[in-house]
Amino acid sequence: MTSPGGDAERLLWQRSPCAHLVLDATAATILDANDTFTGWSGHRREDVVGTPLSALLPVGDRILWTTSALPKLEVTGRVEEVVVQLVGADRQRLAALLTAHRVEDEKGEAYVAVALFSATERRRYEEDLLAARRRAEASEARRARAEAGLQHLVHHDALTDLANRPGLLAALHTALAGHGARQLRGGVPAAGRATTPAVVFIDLDGFKAVNDSTGHAGGDELLVEVAARLKAAVRAGALVARLAGDEFVVLDEVTGPEEAAGLAQRLLAALAVPIVIRGVEVVVSASAGIAVAGDEDPAALVAAPAAAADALLQHADAAMYRAKASGRSGWEVHDPAARDDTADRLRLLEQLRHAVNDGQLRLHYQPRFDLADGRMAGVEALVRWAHPVRGLLAPGEFINVAEESGLIRELGAWVLEEAVAQAARWQDQGVDLQVSVNLSARQLADPGLRDWVTTALARRGVPASRLVLEITETALMSDPVTAMTTLTAFKALGATVAVDDFGTGYASLAYLRRFPVDELKIDRSFVAGMTEDAGDRAIVASCIHLAGAMGLVSVAEGVETEAQRDALIALGCDLAQGYHYGRPVPADELVLPRARGLLGNVAQLAAS
Amino acid sequence: MTAVTEDQALDAAKSGALVPAVVPAPRPAPRDPAAVLARHAVTEAGSPDGPVLLLSHGFGTGQDAWRRLVPHFPDHRVVLFDHLGSGRSDLSAFDHERHGRLGGYAEDVLDICAALDLRDVTLVGHSVSAMVAVLAAAADPGRFAGLVLLAPSPRYVDDPETGYTGGFSLEDIHELLESLDSNYYAWSAAMAPVVMGNPDAPELAAELERGFVGTHPDAARTFARTLFLTDTRAVLPRVDVPALVLQCRHDALAPLEVGDAVAASLPQGDLVRLEATGHCPHVSAPDETAAAIRAHLARRAAARPTGAA
Repeated sequence: MTSPGGDAERLLWQRSPCAHLVLDATAATILDANDTFTGWSGHRREDVVGTPLSALLPVGDRILWTTSALPKLEVTGRVEEVVVQLVGADRQRLAALLTAHRVEDEKGEAYVAVALFSATERRRYEEDLLAARRRAEASEARRARAEAGLQHLVHHDALTDLANRPGLLAALHTALAGHGARQLRGGVPAAGRATTPAVVFIDLDGFKAVNDSTGHAGGDELLVEVAARLKAAVRAGALVARLAGDEFVVLDEVTGPEEAAGLAQRLLAALAVPIVIRGVEVVVSASAGIAVAGDEDPAALVAAPAAAADALLQHADAAMYRAKASGRSGWEVHDPAARDDTADRLRLLEQLRHAVNDGQLRLHYQPRFDLADGRMAGVEALVRWAHPVRGLLAPGEFINVAEESGLIRELGAWVLEEAVAQAARWQDQGVDLQVSVNLSARQLADPGLRDWVTTALARRGVPASRLVLEITETALMSDPVTAMTTLTAFKALGATVAVDDFGTGYASLAYLRRFPVDELKIDRSFVAGMTEDAGDRAIVASCIHLAGAMGLVSVAEGVETEAQRDALIALGCDLAQGYHYGRPVPADELVLPRARGLLGNVAQLAAS
Repeated sequence: MTAVTEDQALDAAKSGALVPAVVPAPRPAPRDPAAVLARHAVTEAGSPDGPVLLLSHGFGTGQDAWRRLVPHFPDHRVVLFDHLGSGRSDLSAFDHERHGRLGGYAEDVLDICAALDLRDVTLVGHSVSAMVAVLAAAADPGRFAGLVLLAPSPRYVDDPETGYTGGFSLEDIHELLESLDSNYYAWSAAMAPVVMGNPDAPELAAELERGFVGTHPDAARTFARTLFLTDTRAVLPRVDVPALVLQCRHDALAPLEVGDAVAASLPQGDLVRLEATGHCPHVSAPDETAAAIRAHLARRAAARPTGAA
């Protein structure tokens, strides 16, 4: 094998404007080189013929030629415009584009024809272009890092660096949607465990005492230590979040309630070891509530995981309260089977009936504040059930049962009676406070209600103007005619009438105008979102404006942060209540506005 | 984004320490097996019921490099795939952090095995993929009936301390990365038809009409740096499955003594020197390569204590 073609062709080949090489069929060894190649590279023909092509390439190109170009050439028969440097006779590197084709000569023998184009300029341009590209990538990477950092801030608690509520919800939504999707696909993976998302809700028992004895900085130290212990006690894939104050939630995948209980025990054990805060040894016990995602509709989980997430957290929260009530440092598992059990409801109803008669009901009072001058304007009376086994229950745990059974009338009567009695006690202490009481739809329909309220007020000597009767928008609209009659009667009596949960019940403006209403209470769900969500803010704004336009007092519920308070002030809202001002507490724990200097303490109490 | 970590890795390497390969931890079954198969462009050939031959290509090529070898195993279930960043894989799934570790590629191989529920796999790894195969087998020995290591090297950079000759210096690796840069646009252009092709019906394109798709330049730097700066020697003694080491003459990447050392370090190493020259015997000498693999499989079957024919 020497060169292609006859003499004329060979001459053309030798004098080609392009450097040519002939390689053997495997493209390994140089068999021939044309004059252009020898002139360009400085190598003599006899020095390169018989040597491997790769010997002419610097090491980097040699590796790429071997690993990339050569296999392609062998499989497809050609490579085009491979960027290489050729080491010339003077050891100078010559930039070139290499194109190679496998061809057959007239005898049918295969060889590889190589053409080399000098490409110094092109190589320089491409190097500049690539450098610019790499710079752009680096700057893009910086931007991405900054964005990831921002995302981290949004989803994390600044004090402990744990996930915060939005971070937890985002992770929980993902976990539940993924769980639903797995179930839709047919559930159990071939290998590995079938798992279910579970949350463990943890509330510290001794936190307030630490805060009181060591100050807020000590409390912060404790929270940071608790966060570190929880993180150390969970698996790598689990998420630890801090919801608020001393509430923590662990999200993990478990095989069932037993494994979740094991997790809760581990977490509580980790917290039980004494912590030294500012030289003081503190023993923090905690209560835990467990809820495991159960038999939710998988399609619903995928489509709308948020509802399931809320339910799961509520169940865990409720279970935690049960644990707390039954003794400190314990844990309880939410039992989904027991929840909708008819027998359980009947038992609950029976217990509730006793509770009303045996004095197990309590009223807690949540202060409401005048946003214009920051003074306490009144309180809302909220019923609690001091359940002998399950602890202090919020209305959500039993009001439905009461409503369905008609027991709500007796319960409502007790609430009204007790609220009026408390108003009388405050009156005796010289404190003028408006007391709000919630009325249910059934109470509203009770023809005897008006007389009953009139009697109660008269017996205690409390003027009707001290009483605010709250009725939900939904209840109002369920039987507008009866509601109109009853509310008009209360109005004539001199009581204040408020529409509760306003914004959730689709009340038409026409009705609202005709009702003798004095206050609009804006639902907490809108207030909660108003500083993040433009839509919620717009709803709150229009509720306030609506109230203003109709001459009604606007009340914001569920105010939890300073930012919300400031936004409400800016919107011209009249009154506000929520954790920012104070949680519902028994009457004797309420800081009363009589001594004005103490007013600030109410907010402080709420924050602790 | 590659530049930052790369320089750090090179700096670390200059200080004498290459990155020791880490055997992947046990992996949960992939949640979405179909996604695993899609992102690795997994294809199959041969007999669906035959023993499994999983082919793992090396740096610079994709599964196209196996085209000439595949027809030699019509009685096997031949499973082919592209490493992320190579061939028709989903480039967006290439993770510069995860695929900056050799174990990351082994994790991908294990995921593919799990996604297809492959058992008794004979894993064939070429070049860098030979060490990927070693890591996969060390991580999950129960999955594999054996390994075939084509032109393997557990460490490309010389190690004067132990007298080990890998064949390259750190400066050489620098040069390689520069060469990769020089070929950036050429390699990008070579990928272009893939991007513009019809991804919905790749099977419609006849095997030979499809282009030969190599490694994407955006992944190539990380891939190259990872494989050339990793030291897998310490893992070899932990691979307790039969392993055929196929060695070529005049291999520009793996000198003869490297193949010898690999076979000697493997508890069940079986060294065969091929007549073939170069680094890609499955491409340049598919007949001889296939025959050597078949002979080894026959020896392996004969050596099995109980008749698992």
